[in-house]
Amino acid sequence: MALTVVSVAFMVVDARLSVLQPLRAQLGMFLMPIYYVAELPVRTWGTVHTQLTSRAELINENERLRAESLLIKRKLQKLATLTEQNVRLRELLNSSSLVDERVLVAELIGVDPNPFTQRIMINKGEHDGVFLGQPVLDATGLMGQIVEVMPFNARVLLLTDVSHSLPVQVNRNGLRAIAAGTGNNEWLELRHVGDTADIRVDDILVSSGLGQRFPAGYPVGRVVSIEQDPAQPFAEVKVAPTAQLNRSRYLLLVFSPESGYGDLLPALSLEADQDAAPIVQTPAVSNETDEAQAPVGGQPDAQ
Amino acid sequence: MRSSLIIGLTFLVALLLSVMPMPSPVDLGRPMWLAMVVAFWVMVMPHRVGLLCAWFAGLATDVLYGELIGQHALVMTLVAWLMLLLYQRIRRFPLWQQSLVMLPVLGLAQLLLLWLNSLAGSRPPILMFLLPAAVSAVLWPWVFSILSAVKRRFHVF
Repeated sequence: MALTVVSVAFMVVDARLSVLQPLRAQLGMFLMPIYYVAELPVRTWGTVHTQLTSRAELINENERLRAESLLIKRKLQKLATLTEQNVRLRELLNSSSLVDERVLVAELIGVDPNPFTQRIMINKGEHDGVFLGQPVLDATGLMGQIVEVMPFNARVLLLTDVSHSLPVQVNRNGLRAIAAGTGNNEWLELRHVGDTADIRVDDILVSSGLGQRFPAGYPVGRVVSIEQDPAQPFAEVKVAPTAQLNRSRYLLLVFSPESGYGDLLPALSLEADQDAAPIVQTPAVSNETDEAQAPVGGQPDAQ
Repeated sequence: MRSSLIIGLTFLVALLLSVMPMPSPVDLGRPMWLAMVVAFWVMVMPHRVGLLCAWFAGLATDVLYGELIGQHALVMTLVAWLMLLLYQRIRRFPLWQQSLVMLPVLGLAQLLLLWLNSLAGSRPPILMFLLPAAVSAVLWPWVFSILSAVKRRFHVF
């Protein structure tokens, strides 16, 4: 009986206040290794796979990566001049300069076992400077945001969770909309898009930065279908997220001056002056080399 | 002392199994490992494992799942309480009849979980929520046999 009362009291307190946060964080620190152990078979398989990859396969992959790197480098050359031009034009316009964000590479350590939520665990936490509401990306697009920070781990709410939505805009014409999660990890839907809005299949949606949470300009999804039912006040627009929500093993945590909490980090104010060389993005935390290398080493099991 | 350790270890294994990655459609029917282990110990040794143990096990689940603290704690307490009411009868049942009794017990636990979840506002109310209870009831004879074997092997009393 007393336990019931205590449980209910805990639930109410936890839902309304943040008094129980320390308890959760401390317990979490002891319990999170369970996620590591649960993921162990997958990890071991990954290691074995890396060890046993044949030479020919490695050579192939190497060549492919070299080609890819060449292509990307070419794009970067263009980007450098474009960025400088952009900065100069913005200076002319007297608008705030576009600052390049810093990123930190994190690794996925577990998926939320509850099938009705879309959340994942990562191996970076408070000690790495992760903060509540921090945007999370993968190599191809926006993934979600941090909803719970523990000392050495954090929980990420994915874009497709039912309780998540974010402001986006159509890349082609700047049309604004809200992309809401559906609980299915392959779909987002656009809310309140008028029947006559200029939006087409295959339009790319990028984050608009209007919510002050996500930095502007990151790809969110691609429109896959638009249904206009005369009986409904709004069109039903389905969007496939560009990020590989159920496949990415390595994620990027963005320390963005635009996202609301970014100004809490004193280190970022230094970054604001360095518009000149925005090409190289360095991870925010000291042991940057091995973290930056991690995605390359882990490529085989990501495929 | 040693028997507490063994009991704690089974709880730990149950927690481990309940966060084990599973492919997406199978996920819906993830067996309620922890509830089954709690039910087993309460049934076999109600003098050692009671409501409080169940409550703490539930608390651990809450932290692991990142849900409201107290949610699973309440559900586990419910399971333990039901088992405390039933253990004298269930113990004498053959395994398949025990399974039949576990179905409503675990089903009730799932129902409570569904209610709490929809209060917190994050769960579609579909009948699928009973699937884990059904799967667990089917698995009960095996879980029971394994845990009794553990109990006998390590002389847990």
